[in-house]
Amino acid sequence: MDRRKFVALTAALALGAALTACGNDESGDAGDNSGVTLTMLMGVNNIYPEQQRAWFAEVSDKFKQETGATVRFETFASANDELTKIQTSVVAGQGPDVYALGTTFTPTAYATDAFVELKDDDWNKVGGRDRFLPATLGISGPDKDHEVGIPFASRPFVMAYNKDMLAAAGIDKPADSWDGLRDQAKQLTKAGQYGLAIGYADSFDPWKFIWAMTTQAGTPVVQDGKAALDGANTKLAYQTYLGWLATDKVVDKAAVGWKNAQAIAAFGEGKAAFLPMVSASSKVTLDKSKVAGKYAYAVMPTIPPGATSLPSGGVAATSILSGDNVVVAKYSKHKDLALALVKLLTSEEMQTSYYKTFGELPTNQAAATALGSDPALAAIVESAGKSANTPFTGGWSQVQLALTNVVVQSIPDLSAGRVDDAKLTGLLGQAQTTAQEALDKAK
Amino acid sequence: MNKRTATRQGRPLWMFLPGGLLTLVVIAVPLALALYISLLDLDQYSIREWVGAEFIAFDNYVEAVRDSHLVHAIGISIAYSALVTIGCLPLGLAAAIATQDRFKGRGLVRSVLLVPYVLPAFVVGSTWRIILQPDGIANRIFGTEGLWLNGPRSFWALVIVQLWAGWPLVYLLAAAGLQSVDATVHEAAALDGAGPWAKLRYVVLPQLRGPVSLGLLISFLHNVNSFTLPFVLFGVPSPYDVEVLPVLTYVESFQNFEFGLSVAMAVVSLILVAIPLAVYLRAVRLDTGRGPK
Repeated sequence: MDRRKFVALTAALALGAALTACGNDESGDAGDNSGVTLTMLMGVNNIYPEQQRAWFAEVSDKFKQETGATVRFETFASANDELTKIQTSVVAGQGPDVYALGTTFTPTAYATDAFVELKDDDWNKVGGRDRFLPATLGISGPDKDHEVGIPFASRPFVMAYNKDMLAAAGIDKPADSWDGLRDQAKQLTKAGQYGLAIGYADSFDPWKFIWAMTTQAGTPVVQDGKAALDGANTKLAYQTYLGWLATDKVVDKAAVGWKNAQAIAAFGEGKAAFLPMVSASSKVTLDKSKVAGKYAYAVMPTIPPGATSLPSGGVAATSILSGDNVVVAKYSKHKDLALALVKLLTSEEMQTSYYKTFGELPTNQAAATALGSDPALAAIVESAGKSANTPFTGGWSQVQLALTNVVVQSIPDLSAGRVDDAKLTGLLGQAQTTAQEALDKAK
Repeated sequence: MNKRTATRQGRPLWMFLPGGLLTLVVIAVPLALALYISLLDLDQYSIREWVGAEFIAFDNYVEAVRDSHLVHAIGISIAYSALVTIGCLPLGLAAAIATQDRFKGRGLVRSVLLVPYVLPAFVVGSTWRIILQPDGIANRIFGTEGLWLNGPRSFWALVIVQLWAGWPLVYLLAAAGLQSVDATVHEAAALDGAGPWAKLRYVVLPQLRGPVSLGLLISFLHNVNSFTLPFVLFGVPSPYDVEVLPVLTYVESFQNFEFGLSVAMAVVSLILVAIPLAVYLRAVRLDTGRGPK
């Protein structure tokens, strides 16, 4: 074989392989669904692995009874895993039919234009838009007519507090302002005990605090496509958050290296009075810890730093709108079946059983109302209703990272017991530039 | 000229086909795609129809050099990789020489020495992360205070941990090299009155040059490309002092969704690792197929 033939053959083979990969066999949903398999991608549940497997089997059985089709569940171990899977599926045009996504990731998913926008007809197929708690629909799409995310689970953030420690210090309930919380924390800090447990080295916690404080102050970090990371209130939020450890000394110095789990562990050992920014899933760990039975949940403060009441324009957000949305891939060949699966997953019965198994709150209105009467859950249910959505922009991930980066780069100073004003201003300036660039690119 | 063509025609070139095809599919096509993507404005908004992403020529490269931390990250990556590689040399050689002569339990010692190298980077990273916490064992043992995983000391933490995990490779190659030094050479040197030091300096070490320099090269490339260890040890966003190239590339792709920019960075790092590789291939003449002279 001469060289030209060799090249031609190689090219033909490569092209053939590429064409095969792009091929697709269209088939409808009408009629008999037996033999059809839907795939759903979900995060693996490390706290309840066995229960999750059982739940998969239960859903699959129920779905088979209802439609004749089977559901296969795939899991991802981390957000990165999930993203890789979404990217490859989106590019290849094949993969899971239904995805469960974290709420803050929904805008990014929307930006890819790879998921079904729900029209009235589609909402009807999942049981109607009004079957969901209104607050949980806050991050389903940029507006009511362009929604891709169907609320599936709610995980609002709250604050755990040690009832014994508060009682011993004569504090009847956690403060409703961040300044008040700081003062209570000071009062509760003594030998071997700190007022607050904070995971300063966590990859997500820091931005949630800054987001909450600035939203409450009426100057959210992103508004109408404009970033305000270098505003006075943002700086005050950082000074407050970093100040707890650096200047107020109400947090263990070691917390500069803590992730969320280590903060929970410290609270569980009875070394801290307050543990802000945890979801109901912390209950599993805390109920096995030394503070079992001695702690309760409360909503986090809603009055921003430096204020004694909610300023005008401020939103009394108790938490980011947090949980899972499900989305249906546009490339799915079984859209109606996928919507039928979502209908099943968000039914009152399944939502209640999901809560009982995994501790994640229902997004189904009827199921949530039934739970609201449980006093142990009161604060969490309250927070679910008072959560506010993060801005719906495809650039949010970058904003989030820029917000966290300010804390990461401030840790050396924090460890040395100071919040360097000039350095913080510089970092916020950089973060502002990064965030604004990301927002400008958003389409 | 004529003579060369004649000999070429006699060769069964078709036998290159399986290997050639594999190289094409596994290396050439993805590489060409990567080069192409690095010239596109590819992000979360265009990924679905990525072929249609806007062609922006070298803008990604300009942005990488001018607006991102790329240059800083290259500096950090090269500096720490060089330090680790230099550090591996005495450790690896010493361990190889110490375990060269037969003694009781030598097999066990040799195996134990390899433990850091065979542990997955994720395990190494998580373990050292615990050790280096502000209230961790490292600070307690050395009576130090403060941070190892952020701030200026984090750079040294990265060097130390990567050194701990990486030196056995040099040891392994040095030990293999030692095996190939013929016993008769030792005898001849001894007959000539060479002491242990002279034997090491003039007989053993020259023979180890090949395997050890290969070990150092692999070690350097491995460090420049190492992602898991710094990622697990320091998390993202990276503290400024340990913002290494692979983690920066990862963040651009998987946190900021700037795929084009990220691929441009990856191409730069490819060039970066190609330089020492080319120098090495030149040195051992593997590229000419003639072997060392």
